[in-house]
Amino acid sequence: MAPKKKAAIGQPGTVSASGSALQGFSALLEPFYGGKSLTDPISTAEDKWNLLPAFLKVKGLVKQHIDSFNYFVDHEIKKIVAANKRVTSEIDNRFYLEYLDIRVGEPERLDYDDRRPQNEITPNECRLRDMTYAAPIIVDIKYVRGKSVIKRLNCRIGRMPIMLRSSKCRLAGKTDRQMAHMNECALDPGGYFIVNGTEKVILVQEQLSKNRVLVETDPKRGIVSASVTSTTHERKSKSYVMLKKERINLQHNILQEPIPIVIALKAMGIQSDHEMLLLVAGTDSIYQDEFAVNFEEASKLGIFSQHQALEYIGSRVKMGGRNKTPGAPHRRNYIGDALEALANVFLSHVPVCGLDLRPKALYICFMVRRVLMAMHDPTLVDDRDYVGNKRLELAGQLMSLLFEDLFKKFNTDLKSNIDKVLRKRNRTTEFDAFNHMASHGNYITLGMNRAISTGNWNLKRFKMDRAGVTHVLSRLSYISALGMMTRISSQFEKTRKVSGPRALQPSQFGMLCPSDTPEGEACGLVKNLALMTHITTNDEEEPVKKLVFILGAEDIVALSGKEIYEEGAYVVFVNGTPIALTRQPKVFLNSFRKFRRMGRISEFISIYINHHTRAVHIATDEGRICRPLIVVENEKSKITIDSLEQLRQGTMNFDDFLYQGLVEYVDVNEENDSNIALYESEISENTTHLEIEPFTILGAVAGLIPYPHHNQSPRNTYQCAMGKQAIGAIAYNQFSRIDTLLYLMVYPQQPMVKTRTIELIHYDKLPAGQNAIVAVMSYSGYDIEDALVLNKASCDRGFGRCQVLRKYSTQLRKYANRSSDRIGNRIMDDKDPTKPIAKHAILGSDGLALVGEKIEMGQVYLSKEVPLNTTSSGIGSDFGTNEHMPAPMTYRLPDPSYVDKIMVSQTENEAMVIKVQTRQTRRPELGDKFSSRHGQKGVVGIIVNQEDMPFADSGVTPDIIMNPHGFPSRMTVGKMLELLSGKAGVLNGTLEYGTAFGGSNVDDMGELLLQHGFSYSGKDFVTSGITGESLPAYIFFGPIYYQKLKHMVQDKMHSRSRGPRAILTRQPTEGRSRDGGLRLGEMERDCLIAYGASQLLLERLMLSSDAHEVDICEVCGLMGYQGWCQTCKSTRGVARMTIPYAAKLLVQELLSMNVLVRLKLEDEFPHGGPKPI
Amino acid sequence: MDYDPMVMDEAVGPSVKITEAGTQNVDFELQNVDLAFANSLRRTILAEVPTMAIDLVEIEANTSVLPDEFICHRLGLIPLVSKNVDDVVYSRDCDCDQYCDLCSVTLTLHARCTGDEIMKVYARDLVVDNMRANQWVGNPVITDPEGLGTVICKLRKGQELRMKCIAKKGIAKEHAKWAPTAAVGFEYDPHNKLRHMELWYEEDAVAEWPKSKYAEWEEPPQEGEPFDYDAVPERFYFEVESAGNLDPDVIIQQGIKVLQQKLATVIQELTEGDGTTNGMNGGYDAPRSPDVGMNGQPWQEQGYTTPYGNGNASAWGGAGAATPYGATPYGQNGANGWS
Repeated sequence: MAPKKKAAIGQPGTVSASGSALQGFSALLEPFYGGKSLTDPISTAEDKWNLLPAFLKVKGLVKQHIDSFNYFVDHEIKKIVAANKRVTSEIDNRFYLEYLDIRVGEPERLDYDDRRPQNEITPNECRLRDMTYAAPIIVDIKYVRGKSVIKRLNCRIGRMPIMLRSSKCRLAGKTDRQMAHMNECALDPGGYFIVNGTEKVILVQEQLSKNRVLVETDPKRGIVSASVTSTTHERKSKSYVMLKKERINLQHNILQEPIPIVIALKAMGIQSDHEMLLLVAGTDSIYQDEFAVNFEEASKLGIFSQHQALEYIGSRVKMGGRNKTPGAPHRRNYIGDALEALANVFLSHVPVCGLDLRPKALYICFMVRRVLMAMHDPTLVDDRDYVGNKRLELAGQLMSLLFEDLFKKFNTDLKSNIDKVLRKRNRTTEFDAFNHMASHGNYITLGMNRAISTGNWNLKRFKMDRAGVTHVLSRLSYISALGMMTRISSQFEKTRKVSGPRALQPSQFGMLCPSDTPEGEACGLVKNLALMTHITTNDEEEPVKKLVFILGAEDIVALSGKEIYEEGAYVVFVNGTPIALTRQPKVFLNSFRKFRRMGRISEFISIYINHHTRAVHIATDEGRICRPLIVVENEKSKITIDSLEQLRQGTMNFDDFLYQGLVEYVDVNEENDSNIALYESEISENTTHLEIEPFTILGAVAGLIPYPHHNQSPRNTYQCAMGKQAIGAIAYNQFSRIDTLLYLMVYPQQPMVKTRTIELIHYDKLPAGQNAIVAVMSYSGYDIEDALVLNKASCDRGFGRCQVLRKYSTQLRKYANRSSDRIGNRIMDDKDPTKPIAKHAILGSDGLALVGEKIEMGQVYLSKEVPLNTTSSGIGSDFGTNEHMPAPMTYRLPDPSYVDKIMVSQTENEAMVIKVQTRQTRRPELGDKFSSRHGQKGVVGIIVNQEDMPFADSGVTPDIIMNPHGFPSRMTVGKMLELLSGKAGVLNGTLEYGTAFGGSNVDDMGELLLQHGFSYSGKDFVTSGITGESLPAYIFFGPIYYQKLKHMVQDKMHSRSRGPRAILTRQPTEGRSRDGGLRLGEMERDCLIAYGASQLLLERLMLSSDAHEVDICEVCGLMGYQGWCQTCKSTRGVARMTIPYAAKLLVQELLSMNVLVRLKLEDEFPHGGPKPI
Repeated sequence: MDYDPMVMDEAVGPSVKITEAGTQNVDFELQNVDLAFANSLRRTILAEVPTMAIDLVEIEANTSVLPDEFICHRLGLIPLVSKNVDDVVYSRDCDCDQYCDLCSVTLTLHARCTGDEIMKVYARDLVVDNMRANQWVGNPVITDPEGLGTVICKLRKGQELRMKCIAKKGIAKEHAKWAPTAAVGFEYDPHNKLRHMELWYEEDAVAEWPKSKYAEWEEPPQEGEPFDYDAVPERFYFEVESAGNLDPDVIIQQGIKVLQQKLATVIQELTEGDGTTNGMNGGYDAPRSPDVGMNGQPWQEQGYTTPYGNGNASAWGGAGAATPYGATPYGQNGANGWS
């Protein structure tokens, strides 16, 4: 390591480091404005990116999760309760219980007690004590007791796990110093839950949008279909309008067979064929001809009136078990059934008031028209993979589904309990429903905890059965935690080999990171959000509808097909439902946008025109991805020098920009309808928006890469996967956490070549890597295949040094018979009673290991004892023994560790929990994996003494020598640029930037190098350390940021000569953890067979594995024992031979299934050969 | 210095011209030696000049945020004054059990933060024990004007460090903490007259490659000068900067001395060694491969048995239970299905 270039990193974990005077986000803004004084000139072209930190200031990195959860806790939960507010009784119809209000409180301890002043709980306490970070759910109720109505306020009905940093969290709005007091990292993004001590993230789920028409074709079968997945709180269903063999049908799960569309529309009250034709096809004769065929079908079936149509539909509706009363022959009311199905089941998201089916009929007409259009012009079908057709489901939505299900179940349980009591005629005490509520107290709590901790969202009510919704937050590095928070998982099956959903969609631009996706089966299905994105929450539809009419659009219900499809008429859709018609779509759109920019309606409502279908779409629903863009009007960016100056001075924040209409959120659909300029110079007369910064198309993880725009794209993808495995600093509270496995770097450094993203996500404060001086040259032959040559002196001085912290945890359980686990005493040596035996050498007098002691394999760190008898009750003569049996916890790793800390505490259910943390400090060794930030990984091939290393004429030796063969095929030009900028930065004493689509200019860097007496090419004159002769070629020499990855040989090294065997087969065990053997596999076996090494085969597969001697009777062919055949009852012809134990086992297992196996023995060498036994 | 006269030109011995000398560094030009010699000197200075450094730490109390190993590593890297380090013997050569006054220097560190401010523990807080080989050896190197030295750790109120550090003599080959210098500048032939290097350039090598500062010390090549195939490098430019533990002149003198000793053992071996015994135990104590100095004799060490040769019974065939661990894992001893 170049000794002079060691960045000063504050010691993480100390209170001072996280606290300091920097409060909140002022620290975040600092690096950007810090370098410039307020009077420095501002140019809108260069400084508009200042909006990005301002955006992150109000939105944060994982704001989508937090916003979604906040929306659920503050609004959605109230809606759910309002929809299910009354609990009534079937027995006593005077009784009712009504929920008046619901709130979620602040997180507090489960063992809540009024007497205790301290009920506040911090997230870190939950992590350490294996508790759930949850807040009480409080309701106000009103119910009938006797003859009076009682009102009770603040009743707890359960506990809701609270998302960290949400509005209900204790960390909300706290300063860095306060966070430090709570042992919480100020840079931790939050957005996850703590359930039973583990951090759980609810991943963002990607889905096809609901309540929208999707037109698709199947050219093979000649089908064009328009489908809608309707989702309401009550029902979820899918309806299709399908064109097959020129006939259009309506299809739905509830129908036994598809019904002709004409009949369906008739049943919905469009009685005149002409009206229907106009509504579907307009005056366009092509569409009319296409549709006219369908009338024939209806008339053939003799259906002319609405009544007939309803009857036809009613007879084809599956009513399930709903209207059946067992026993009595059921007479179906077809018309009623049909009406109910049409009103409530088909397209259930279109509201029907008082059996006015007109809006729904119109909706179907539009679907039919889309089908006709798609049939005519196959380009008009929708793309399933288009991001605008996707919706993201977030934690809040999933939690609200879960809560709704649990709450409904809670109420039905409560109801049946109340019924049970009310059924009794004479009660001793007056019935109080409140008491029954308390007895169900745990149902909601447990349900929530279970769902989050297992990740199984199993809600029958919504036909939802999803596994793997939640994941344990990966705390391998700060970046891995952050990367997990922005991850989006797709519902798509991983096994299917289709490329469409995996492909990079042009509509992902700016919304989803193009680089950050895993390799292999989940490639393209797991995505990550880009840096500057927001996911919308639900907005009210009603005010938007009102606005549509205020803006002069006509109600669509009153219009005929002729008017609707008139030239220049555009239909206004709100969330996919047609509501109005406008003849001046452009004017309408502009004035609508004006309202939005004024802040009169929510900034997240999007509007766009689809000219193909002649429609204006307005979306207010949740789960749309959107991002902010600068508004451009009259070829002028609305952002002025003045406004940027105000931003810098802090008199304006991002929201002010938003409300002044300088910046607006644009979702994928609206983006598709806009003309966005990348740079201010590119603004033309058609431009509507201006990009804030181009590098925001990358996500947080890809943002670490310097000069990514110079790399081959898969290399960036590889780095995205590897950046998450890098060892570094995890959080400011890393030393007050006890995680199962924690990797920490001893001297992490911030990279010499930073990016704007690095500063924005604070990677420079919690880095994972070191700036190594790299020489790109060949050395020693131990560097082939990406192997690295390391400098021993650098390792001595702390390069690549890391700590591995491991947790061993146990609970002292209490049993039903009042016995409990305990910690036993250490056992003293027989000869020297002052000393414990070797196994207990590091135990203290309390039976726990002493902190700071070195612990080696086989030593006990916790001498736990369990009671022998856990069942006897102790009543009467049922006394068990009172003895305990030792169940010590022994250290099993071959490499020693030190005891770092021991925590003794209690869990929520009062059980004692003991956590022992051990620590290893590791220096790099042969085989450890390192990687630069360009997807270039390699293992250490050799560690070379400093004097043998090549050196530049100043005497500088490299820390790492990298083989130049890594460059040509990988084409990671960004790595070379990083070296160049880094070298210039080192010489100049500055940190350089490698921001995507920008960064420090290569020419400038070359100039800097020349100024300091170096070649502008970054190459140096290098002398061999071994001979002292100068090398014939100049060597590319300079700093590159290297990450140490978590894969270290120490954790993988394994060999065995002899060892344990599996009980059943007597073959060697498998795996390093069980000291297993190394398998000679099938393919290796094939080689030996082909080669003819029969004795080697025998030795490997039998003798060294599971050779077993058996006695076999030559007469009957069965196995005997001790020279005796039990079947033949004789010793004659019993032969002894060696066979694999697995073969013997097979024979016996077959015997147990009544399959007899007779072994026939033959002399291999009948004459003159060795005598068979 | 007795060099082999065959290598050197007649009476002209090596000469040294010092160009710059300070308390911490020395730049000099070495002339009339061949490349191998100059490089050996460089290598010796880097790796084999003995110095003092903290090697063992006995921790009594550490309540700081840094783990024990972390602090030990930092302590090890603190340069200690190693003036007249020859007075200290190597610990492994010493007669004592673990360490003693002759082979080590004891430094104690006791720091405790009592104030509300964060306290920094510096190298100056190391207290050197007076029982040592001479008055200089083992003092922490402090060069900053405030006289603080290296930061070891930061302490918060109530945190404490109490440890005993044992500094020993050693060489950088074993661990870089014993290095007297972090890097040695070394250069020859600034005009590339010998053409050891192919000048890479895009347009103009002279314009693109900045000249070394030693370029003006030597004659630039004349226009059209023929290439001298027989020329060898003769003038070497050294830049030695001390880590603070030794004076720069001492570093070079010590380097020469170590080199001399090493060469002496080689010469001794070649001239007087009888060829069969291990003659190499003189002053050479650096790590070496196991068969160095075995003089062609097959390497045999007790406790190891090679599976081949020596007529040793292998695990297979031969005299039954021949594996060193007793019974073979299958069947009875020696009695397998084929015997």
